[in-house]
Amino acid sequence: MQRYLLKRTGAALVALWLSSVIVFAGVRALPGDAALALAGEERDPAALAEIREKYGLDDSVLEQYLRWAGLALRGDLGESVRTGLAVSETIVQKLPITIELAALSVLVGVLIGIPAGVIAASRKGKSADYVSNAVGLAGLSIPNFWLGLVLILLLAVKFPVFPASGYVPFLENPLGNLYNMILPAFVLGTGLAAVIMRQMRSSMLESLDTDYVRTARAKGLSEWSVVGIHAFRNSLITVVTVIGLQLGGLISGAVVTEQIFVIPGFGNLIVSAVFQRDLPVIQGAVLVAAAGYIVVNLLVDITYSLLNPRIRIAGDVA
Amino acid sequence: MSATSAEAVVSPRARRRRRLRRRFTHRKAAVIGGVLSLLFVLVAVFAPLLAPYGASASDFDAVLVSPSPAHPFGTDELGRDNFSRVVIGSRASIVAGALATVLAMVIAVPIGLVAGYYRGAVDTVIMRVNDALLAFPFLILAVGLAAILGPSLTNAALAIGLSAVPNLVRITRGEVLGIREEDYVGGAVASGANDFVILRRHILPNIMNTLLVQATVLIPAAIIAESLLSFLGLGVQPPTPSWGVMLSAAQAYLDQAWWLALYPGVAIFVATMSFNLFGDGLRDVLDPKALR
Repeated sequence: MQRYLLKRTGAALVALWLSSVIVFAGVRALPGDAALALAGEERDPAALAEIREKYGLDDSVLEQYLRWAGLALRGDLGESVRTGLAVSETIVQKLPITIELAALSVLVGVLIGIPAGVIAASRKGKSADYVSNAVGLAGLSIPNFWLGLVLILLLAVKFPVFPASGYVPFLENPLGNLYNMILPAFVLGTGLAAVIMRQMRSSMLESLDTDYVRTARAKGLSEWSVVGIHAFRNSLITVVTVIGLQLGGLISGAVVTEQIFVIPGFGNLIVSAVFQRDLPVIQGAVLVAAAGYIVVNLLVDITYSLLNPRIRIAGDVA
Repeated sequence: MSATSAEAVVSPRARRRRRLRRRFTHRKAAVIGGVLSLLFVLVAVFAPLLAPYGASASDFDAVLVSPSPAHPFGTDELGRDNFSRVVIGSRASIVAGALATVLAMVIAVPIGLVAGYYRGAVDTVIMRVNDALLAFPFLILAVGLAAILGPSLTNAALAIGLSAVPNLVRITRGEVLGIREEDYVGGAVASGANDFVILRRHILPNIMNTLLVQATVLIPAAIIAESLLSFLGLGVQPPTPSWGVMLSAAQAYLDQAWWLALYPGVAIFVATMSFNLFGDGLRDVLDPKALR
């Protein structure tokens, strides 16, 4: 077990390092002069020379990478070419907003998806199965940005129940904050609920089809303990992984959802940085997103190994 | 739980085929989904013939007109026929859906098979690079590619397909890891089958269920992703109609012209729903385990 944990953590560190290389190389792959891009609107040759000097753009690529990575390790991601603010500070400001949105969305997804999946699987072929399936399919098929537009149209423009957009800091007004977050979290959470529901249903069906479930039934165990304990526990494993893998989807979804509901979060930061060609912000934000994803999936894999001894043993042997 | 790992249920092939055929005739949802998907493809192919107006034909005497017999889906802020634009916009979606899915499968499945089957150093190298790539949300990758290549439909489809690869590699590999421990794989090795035969005849058929689920998730997801990139301004560029471009423009007229925000979204919904229904039915028919 310890060996598996060490191996898995080592792999996460390698992924972190590789992702920093990808981010660095990706920005260097942008066409045109990096100094011009870093300068933003500035076109004065003297200013460009200063930027060249400041970022060491005339040094070798390896030197540039090492300096950038070294600073990044110490939490220094440079400054925005638009606002002049430290990138790391800007990210630290925006991140909690998006984390709150994502957490609420996962809550929505789990609360809807897991019960729906279990019900669909245990009532396979009956009306509850068809209804959950239809709703699940609809959830997968509705683009969340359109769902956002329609909900704004219905619940903010036609019937003003919820605010169409805007953000209230949680510490200033917790209730107002949650009130503003209901629509965005619902929009972002429905897609996740559909994914979880479908995964849960298909894993449950697979589990319900195994010999040990037949044995449990043959022993005369109640339907509750067959479905709820034997099948459910084994199905949860895949669902945990799916939620971990969906984190990227959540970040992507947050980008759009924040755009529609005008929430000044992390996703909003990335989009505006892209349209303003604010390279240090793009670089920093992408690196932080990747690092967050790697850490969460490390935790998911550790959970996975705790739930499934087979994987753990295979990891130790390999 | 300890007693569960060794057993696996494999039903005889002949019995399975008979069930398949019987099952297929009973899948109404799959048939409906299949017909609608086909219809969607046909609409995309014959879009210029089906659209009553040109995609960019402006009529400044009919700006933001609500749905009527002349304009069943209304008109937009430039007096362009919304129905014609929705019909022609289907082309971007089908191109993105097909291109991205094929690209992702062709790249990811062989990599996942090799990683999961050989394990060891090959697996380690593949999976570490994969883990690093997996860490980039697809929109981030798409944004990066759009910045490098310039925003266009083809680049959006490329970005969607490529960004689906790491996830598909991981899923394929995970499935293979489980299956290669099955007794029948050990039996095939013992009987002297070579690796290609084992991968092709014993492992690939057993992960088809998962791959099919992934493909049927991927096509509609790519359709949604294309509309999303276009919505953000990173895919199809106006004035070329794409459902995402149209929804993006509709945002400014939410309180005046609900039809602009409604119909392109309904189109995305119906298209993705058809593929999802079709795929679900197909999976139920082809999945050897779900047949009982």
